[in-house]
Amino acid sequence: MEQELLKLKQEAEEALAHVAGTDQLEAFRVKFLGRKGGLLTGILRQLGQVAPEDRPRLGQMANDIKLSLETSFDDRKALLSATVGEGVGGTDYSLPGRYLPFGKLHPVTQVMEEICSIFEGLGFAVAEGPDVETDHYNFEALNIPKHHPARDMHDTFYVTDSTLLRTHTSPMQARIMERQDPPLRYVVPGKVYRCDSDITHTPMFHQVEGLLVDRQVSFADLKGVLTSFTHKIFERELPLRFRPSYFPFTEPSAEVDVACVICGGNGCRVCKRTGWLEILGSGLIDPEVLKMVGYDPDTYSGFAFGLGVERIAMLKYGIDDIRMYYENDLRFLCQF
Amino acid sequence: MKFTLSWLNQFIATDGLTAAQIADNLTMLGLEVDSVIPLFADLEEVLTAKVKTVEKHPDADKLTVCAVDTGTETVQVVCGAPNVRPGMVTAIALPGIKLPDGTKIKKSKVRGVVSAGMLCSARELGLSNDHQGLMELDGQLAAGMPLIDALGMRDTMIEVDLTPNRSDCASVRGIAREVGSFAPAALKPLVDSVTPLTGRDTGFEVVIVEPDLCPRYAARKLTNVTIGPSPLWMQQRLAAVGMRPINNIVDISNYVMLESGQPMHAFDFDTLHGLAIVVRRPRAGETSLTTLDGSVRQLDAEMLLICDAERPVAVAGVMGGLDTEITESTTTILLESACFNPISIRRTARKLGISSEASYRFERGVDRNLADSALERAVNLIVELAGAQADPDGVDVYPGKMPLLLLHLRVGRVCDLLGAELSRDQIAQHLTSIEFKVRPLDATTLEVEVPSFRIDVEREIDLIEEVARLVGYNAIPTSQPVIRMDSPKQDPLRSLRQKAAQAMVAQGFFEAINYSFVAESHLDLCRLAEDDPRRKVTRLINPLSEELSIMRSLLLPGLLENVRRNINFQQPDIRLFETGKIFLHKQGGGQPEERLHLCAMISGRRYGEAEPLYFATQEADFFDVKGALTNLLSALRIAGAEETLVFDSQPQQVQPYCDPTCAVVIRNGELVIGSLGKVHPETLKGFGIKQAVYFFEMDLDALLDVDRKSPCFAALPKYPAVKRDISLVVPDAVPAGDLLRAIQAQQQKYLESVEIFDVYRGKPIQGGHKSVALSVTYRSATATLDDQSVDKIHGKIVNTLMTEFNARYREGAEA
Repeated sequence: MEQELLKLKQEAEEALAHVAGTDQLEAFRVKFLGRKGGLLTGILRQLGQVAPEDRPRLGQMANDIKLSLETSFDDRKALLSATVGEGVGGTDYSLPGRYLPFGKLHPVTQVMEEICSIFEGLGFAVAEGPDVETDHYNFEALNIPKHHPARDMHDTFYVTDSTLLRTHTSPMQARIMERQDPPLRYVVPGKVYRCDSDITHTPMFHQVEGLLVDRQVSFADLKGVLTSFTHKIFERELPLRFRPSYFPFTEPSAEVDVACVICGGNGCRVCKRTGWLEILGSGLIDPEVLKMVGYDPDTYSGFAFGLGVERIAMLKYGIDDIRMYYENDLRFLCQF
Repeated sequence: MKFTLSWLNQFIATDGLTAAQIADNLTMLGLEVDSVIPLFADLEEVLTAKVKTVEKHPDADKLTVCAVDTGTETVQVVCGAPNVRPGMVTAIALPGIKLPDGTKIKKSKVRGVVSAGMLCSARELGLSNDHQGLMELDGQLAAGMPLIDALGMRDTMIEVDLTPNRSDCASVRGIAREVGSFAPAALKPLVDSVTPLTGRDTGFEVVIVEPDLCPRYAARKLTNVTIGPSPLWMQQRLAAVGMRPINNIVDISNYVMLESGQPMHAFDFDTLHGLAIVVRRPRAGETSLTTLDGSVRQLDAEMLLICDAERPVAVAGVMGGLDTEITESTTTILLESACFNPISIRRTARKLGISSEASYRFERGVDRNLADSALERAVNLIVELAGAQADPDGVDVYPGKMPLLLLHLRVGRVCDLLGAELSRDQIAQHLTSIEFKVRPLDATTLEVEVPSFRIDVEREIDLIEEVARLVGYNAIPTSQPVIRMDSPKQDPLRSLRQKAAQAMVAQGFFEAINYSFVAESHLDLCRLAEDDPRRKVTRLINPLSEELSIMRSLLLPGLLENVRRNINFQQPDIRLFETGKIFLHKQGGGQPEERLHLCAMISGRRYGEAEPLYFATQEADFFDVKGALTNLLSALRIAGAEETLVFDSQPQQVQPYCDPTCAVVIRNGELVIGSLGKVHPETLKGFGIKQAVYFFEMDLDALLDVDRKSPCFAALPKYPAVKRDISLVVPDAVPAGDLLRAIQAQQQKYLESVEIFDVYRGKPIQGGHKSVALSVTYRSATATLDDQSVDKIHGKIVNTLMTEFNARYREGAEA
């Protein structure tokens, strides 16, 4: 009987190890553990026929085997029910994995962080400033006095006569330079506002401003830093061109174009058939601006730049309608 | 600024350069070309044709059947024009061509006779209103030439997007000057010579009362003017640059303005009173003027006016008056060519809401030295095209005459700032190419005379920019700045926000960004009390709409709008968060206080898009937002959030937008720094949301002041832990969390942790009660605990709970 028990234990354990799926599991239960006709029950029933002196030992042994098999059975059952993917041929590994979904940062945040981190890698610090700004920092300190025609380039939301929603992140140029002496390197990410709304403009958008001031900073340096940046952000060495432009707070001023990321420079709808896409404005900081913060323009020079985050995100991801950024539709947000 | 290539060529030859090359060069000089549009492109395929024979149509009296030579073949065309005759050269549109009016030419039969094309009148080709008969072309012209070449009309319109500093390029002549920097040809002047104006015996006088606002005023009188249409070529040029032809005098003054950059104005001389022009501000009582667009304009004391001896006749530099405008009966005109103060013009134009071609130029600055030559040019054209006689003399009052500006330009400074090696002579050559006069002062310095049209050039740096753009930005080398290393200071709020956002994303939340300006109605929808400080908002003076008129003082409403939108687009399972600034009124006005908040929302199913195969469908509830918040705080190293911060679930003050039955306020000491709960049903209704929404909000600025623990290593336990469960029945009103805190508060030896693992209400538990099951872990750092020691401590804990919470053992359960 002892032999029978040990043999049964071994058989049962082997059989259990090969059980796949709940049907086989049930068959196993009926065969070995079933109350009617189960093999173990059968042996236990014979217990009355063994010699009385062996009975406690064999009884204990049978009981241990029963418990052990039941535990193994339960474990196997738990394992199998955890694997929904049972099938005749075993586990269905084509079923999806089990995970809790994670969310995503807004594409504008992702691109803004990426821009900042590229400049942080170049040793720039990150600073942020107020959204509701004074006329002084938004305009006057940037060499844009009251009746300057350049104010036409900024459709401004006003809060009072002298406070407004910043139209660019450039006010931080003066704020940073006022509180610190060169050398300095900063980028300033943030929201900016213009009263303009159509298919290509939203009244709020994001910019990253940058500035670097030291002795002997040149236009060639500006070109070098912005070239490095552009190659990094678009992850390839796109051709670049610098084009004269006008901002009252930089001189010389330059717009930077990259070869169209859509058509590769052959001309398409996105680049208006020019093969070039404007991605940022820049220039050497105007000596007037340096003077206003108390720097000597003959000792120090520097450059500043500002880039539109939505624009870069659009180019990176092929987004064709800027308004989608602020609808916060999950079908949009989950794409990035 | 728009111009045509042929107009440009009037001042400079551009042989060998295509329109596209010119456009590209201009763009790279800082005159960004917006568009290059070939003119008359729709006439491209219309050809010259010679009529060989003309016969009567067999079936129609007024029609003829012609044999026409198209240069390559002879075709038969049926024609109805009275002037058709053998030998004439005219225009033909062959089958397949679409005319400007949309007519598509087909080979057809006209009353049984085949017609393979159409001979055209000027009107049919959109060239003029002439519909008398077929276009009469020079009989010597060969057949088969493109018509636009035969007429010498092939031209291209180029539009430049001018930056506000380059008023000198708001003229064809100005653009030509820039073209001169890359085209080899010589620049031609506006006029060959200028009549000196002495002001003697002119029969009228000019008085400038405000010389600061009007540095120069020149005028000439012309008599025997015949008002009529201007010639076709002028009309076409004006039309090509988007100006509507009116009559010869108005067209000429516009034409000369576009050509030279000098705005002009023509008065009907006979309507001027007192033979005088007075440039002054309004007198008392002069409160309005009817301008030539028929509007009555309100004048203010600051505005500069052009007046006759008695009354205002024009708003200086902005718009002329109706009373003195040129009409069909005008015979004598006074032509003004003046210069006004840019700021004054800008102010006036703004105030009157007028933006005219003239004000555009004056606001940006017009060359003071231009008035006389532009006047000469206009007078010449009026004499030539309107049959007028010009008085030999005129008036030129020039109180603002100034010497030309002389600047020193240091060669070393140019090279240092640009990072390019340029010689003194190279620099001089570049500047000379755009009419700066340059002479070397010494080996390393140039003296530069700034021409009067470059009012934007006032300093050395302005010259350096000129050099840079003439050298070409792309020819300047590229280098990396050399700068001392330092370790920039991190903004703690920025890193807090980044960590918070990462923690939210890791928990399945998507980040939203909403506009900072919102509808004022949000405040009502959030049920804010009248005296709630969040009602003291920052308001925009000029919002785009009511919906975007105040700066937000809380983030919740924006996210609720997003929730509604997503539900509407069949995305009802929502986890969204936003970090953003809110704007609160600050004592003393000025800039508001800006605080960074985080708001998160959960609505719909708990597991949302997770595989339904594994995750049962369950609606999210309060504990989902609470868990997200707890997790967030732990990610921000505010460990054991409910010990550091107060989570007040029976707050005195519930946020008004929070359902009072499901509301928790979070405080740091006494300071409220956040809240969580279920959005109030009224608020949800207001936002049109029909499903429950749970939220939490946190003031991240305030979180910066909360104690945060730096990670600190604790030795791993060497000895095993002992777990004991307690299952107690307590009155339903007892918060389970209080049991936890009561156990911890006892600070028993060996107590390691305690957690709730079950809460049960219902049979067999007596009504008004619940069973709470807790699991307590004990451990000693120095030995393996024996049952006796644990029992002793555990007993104490249980006893305390029994007395403190009126608890008893759950039946069938052991302590």
